[in-house]
Parts: sequence; C-alpha cells; structure tokens
Amino acid sequence: MVEKSPFKWIFLFLSALVLLFIIAPLAGMFIHTGAKEFFETAADKEVHSSIWLTLWVSFTGTFIFAIGGVPLAWLLARKKFHGKSIVQGIIDLPVVLPHTAAGIALLGFISRDGILGKTASVFGLNLVNHPGGIAIAMAFVSLPFLINSARDGFASVPERLEKAALNLGASQARVFFTISLPLAWRSIISGFVMMFARGMSEFGAVVIIAYHPMVAPVLIYERFSSFGLNYARPAAVLFILVALIVFISLRLLSIRRREKPFARDAEAY
Amino acid sequence: MLKLTEINKKLGDFALSGISLSIPEGQYYVLLGRSGAGKTQLLELIAGLEKPDSGTIVLDGEDITHRKIQERKIGIVFQDYAIFPHLTVFGNIAYPLRSRKIDEQTIVKKVSDVARQMNISHLLSRTTENLSGGENQRIALARTLITSPRLLLLDEPLSSLDASLRDEMKRVLRKLNHEGQTIIHVTHDYSDAISLAERVGVIHNGRIIQEGSVDDVFNRPVNRFVARYAGMKNFFRLRVMKEDGVVKAFTSNNLELRIPENGNTGDCLAVMKSRDIKLSHDKPSETGHNIVKGKVDEIIRSEYGMEISVSAGDLFHTEISGREFKELGIKEKDEVWMCFPPEVIIILGTGQAD
Repeated sequence: MVEKSPFKWIFLFLSALVLLFIIAPLAGMFIHTGAKEFFETAADKEVHSSIWLTLWVSFTGTFIFAIGGVPLAWLLARKKFHGKSIVQGIIDLPVVLPHTAAGIALLGFISRDGILGKTASVFGLNLVNHPGGIAIAMAFVSLPFLINSARDGFASVPERLEKAALNLGASQARVFFTISLPLAWRSIISGFVMMFARGMSEFGAVVIIAYHPMVAPVLIYERFSSFGLNYARPAAVLFILVALIVFISLRLLSIRRREKPFARDAEAY
Repeated sequence: MLKLTEINKKLGDFALSGISLSIPEGQYYVLLGRSGAGKTQLLELIAGLEKPDSGTIVLDGEDITHRKIQERKIGIVFQDYAIFPHLTVFGNIAYPLRSRKIDEQTIVKKVSDVARQMNISHLLSRTTENLSGGENQRIALARTLITSPRLLLLDEPLSSLDASLRDEMKRVLRKLNHEGQTIIHVTHDYSDAISLAERVGVIHNGRIIQEGSVDDVFNRPVNRFVARYAGMKNFFRLRVMKEDGVVKAFTSNNLELRIPENGNTGDCLAVMKSRDIKLSHDKPSETGHNIVKGKVDEIIRSEYGMEISVSAGDLFHTEISGREFKELGIKEKDEVWMCFPPEVIIILGTGQAD
C-alpha cells in the first residue's frame, strides 16, 4: 500500500464504493432498529417459527436435491454427450427467470391438477401452502448454485487421478466416492451453502406457492405491507442476523473440513 | 507376453496407426519418441484408459482389447505420478488393496514391505504435500507394484528427476526388471534407452518407425529421425556414382567421401556420429580413410568433453574428450585435419531420407 501508483488508488476507491453500496443500507437498517423493538421481535413466537421454518425447509430441500444434483454435476463435468450445452442451459434457466414466473409455473405443476400435485395427493399430501411446496419453490430457484459449483469442483479434479484409481483396480463407484467426491468436496459444500442461503432468501416463487405457513421473507413483506417500515425492520434485522450466523458457521465448517482430510488415513496407519 | 496387432486410434488431429508390437515376459522395452509422438496415448491404450478404434491387444494369450481397466492387471505410473492429494502416503499405497477387501493387518504388512523396497518407509505417515518429485515417484511406483501387475508401464519416469536421483531410479528399475517384471518405459531421452532397454521402439507421428535391439537402433538407424535420436549430428546428402567401376560419393559442396559400398548409386543421406571423427593438426597418414581439412568453427563444452564443429565446405560435428582437447590445444579458427574410416558412415536409402 506504500506504492503511490494512481492506478492502484483509483481501483481501491472504486472497490470501496461498491463495498459501501452493499454495506450502507444494511448498516442503516441495523442503526435504525432500536434495541427494544428488536428484543420484542426476537421474543415474538410468530417470527420464531417463521425463521425456523425457513431454515429447515431450505436445508432439507437443499439436501434432498443434492442427492440428484451432485451426480448431475459429475456427469456435466466428466461426460461428453449430445445436447450437453442444452442441459447446461436448462440448469441455468431458473437464474434468469423472474421468480414470480417460476412460482406460477411451479404452482401449475404441484397443484392438484399438476402431475406432481396429483401424485402427492395420492399420499394425502397437498403441496400448495405446505412446507413441501415451499421446499420445491426454494430448490427450483437455487439449484443452479449447487449444480454449477459442484460441477466446477468435479471438473477441477484432475482426470488423471480418476484414471489412476481405475488402473489400481477400483470400481467406478469406488473412484467416485474415494477420489472425485472428496476432492470436489469443498466446491460441493460451498455450492450447498449457496443453494441453502439462496433458498432461505427466496420470496417471489415461494409467496405464490405458499403465503402460509409464512417463511421469513414473506413475513417481512407482510409486516411491511400491513404495518409499514418500522414494524418490518426488526424482523428483517433478526432474519439477516440468523442467516449470517448460519452462513458463516457453515463456511467455517467447510474450511475446517478441508484442513483435516488426511486424519482418517493418518490414524489408520 | 504382450502382443499388439495393427492398433489404430484416432485422437483429434492425431492418430496412432498400424502399431504392432510384441514384448516377451520379463523384457525391458523402451519406447522412444518426441513429445506428441503418441507414446503416452499408446500406454493408455495398453492400460485400457482408452480403447483402440481397431486392432487387438493380447496379454499372456488372452485378448484384453475390450477388457475393463480394472481387470487388466496392467500397472501404469503416470508422468505426473497422479498421487491422491487427500490421502496420506500410506493411504495412497494402500489404495489398491482397499478395493479388494483385504484385512487391515495384511494391508499394513504389504504396504510396509513395498515401502521398504522403494526406500520410503519413513514417509508413510506423511501427507502428500511438500514431497519431492523423486519421493512422489517412488510412492506412485510402490502404489502400482503393490498390485503385482503383469506388466508395468512407465511414462517418462526419469524426465523430471535430477541427475543423482535419475541414476538411483535407474537402479531401482533395473532391479525390478531383473526380478522378472516386464516393463514398458516411454521416454524422449535416448540415454535412458541405452542404459535400460533390452529392446527399443522408436515412435514418430503415431507410427513405430524402427524397432530392435539397442545396438540395432543406435548403430543402424533407418532414417534421419532415428539417427538424430541416436545422437548423430552429421547429416550429408550424398551423390553416389560409379566411374570406371569405382564408387565415388560427393556431398552437396562437392567434397568427395569414401563410403561403405553397397552397390547402390544415386542420391542418398549419410549420417555419422561425432565421436567417430578424429582430429589432428598434422595431416594423418592413414590410408583408405577419409582425410578432410577444415577450419574450427565453434567449440562447445559437452558432457563428454568438447564438441568442435569444423567447416570444410560442409559443416562437420566432432566430439573429443577433455583430455584430448587439452593435448591438441585446438582453438577456434584453427586449421585441423579430420580423419574417419568409411565404415562409420551410415547410408540411409533415398526413400528414407527423412
């Protein structure tokens, strides 16, 4: 930083502006929230259950979709097939769709007239206004984060290592679980966290599928439209704090996981 | 015994074509070629990492052309070693055994044995970070040997080692081979071939252009490419003619050379090793030899001694030992005599001039 190149200073200044742009509104919201309102909201049962619902539904949805998403990511990273770029385009589609439009599309799919809705109703399940429907809406818009990150993770594993493992007598499945998956683990976890976080924050698609039970973004919107800014703000602050805590701890967990991948074998010896 | 018959494989713009090879059990076979010649691709076909478009691969009488990689029992050690970075050294070497439902005690014993053999026992509990190239290579080799492969494929095993490690690794490989391990060793360095091979194949542009014993390939190269590989630096295009029953050969600069007679006339390519040319200040008295006067163009230090290029219309590359160089006291621009018998000139047919 001692260097006096104007180039560097201009870049620093511009970067600082962008950072400020992100931080300022959030900081403003925190500052404008009084301690009293904040603790009142924190004690509010409705807010509690809404935040809890948001967390577990997003986590469960992410987890279930990861079971199919990770193998798909591996296929995209490793296999050549016709229409691969189309598949890749389809995966990225939810990112460019207006989320309310995605919600409308999903509603047709999971309502009693839709394929999934019909199947679910056979088991006595109505996905509309149900956590299951919310999980589907969240996953729909956030799945690209997991798949793309996992795909990049698999792609960055040198194919040589997989070939070497095959040459050493391992089956395809063993190669996947002992070589590809552990080496792509960080990207997969990072994609998992991103999908989870994106799912938690989803409003547009979720609100069309389920106004009730209310996930946190819907609750914040409801409080804002019914009672105004001052009433919505503490709930928003609380949700942001919870989301940040979860987000940071998952990140830390994935970093620690990377530092000790050797533990098992060191012990084995 | 490994037998490749008419193997063809297209890989983008490049193709392996018509590769036929036969390697008896216990042989040390060196496949020599420049980078991009198709050496690694051929190894990968043998190991089963790629499938040939046509042709067959037979190992010990069994057609393995379409066998799965895992079932071939052919070990390959990659040029970059492909060490698993998330496992310890022990975990790497034990990896093949863990696929086979072997009890942990046996695994530990087998790993210790092969580690001792490769001299890496002290590394077993280490992670794979911060290992040297030589250590990585021993780990990769140990990891492959623990599978008791029927055939061991080595991709440039010596290229990234420094001189002392190189000699040590050569000893390890020679010992393995003496214990009966069949080895195919791929390299771009002809000195590897000379010091290790029983048989050498030279691969160029996806084809095997010469095959034979070390002596065959290095003393009787079939074309300019192999000759270069054999370390030959003197290449002359010759016009050979018969005048009154006497064969005469001229270089493009009209320098007359005596060559070994084979009855052919016309244009051809002649090659000669640098060390076959003797240098002196005074005119040599040998009869029947080529005696050529020239001017020292350049003197370069070499591993053997000094490389001295001498211009006599055509440029001759000679190499003499350091001791000889001191005795002769040759300097650049000196006039010197070159002397070499006709037998050291190798005539390559016109058709094979390249």
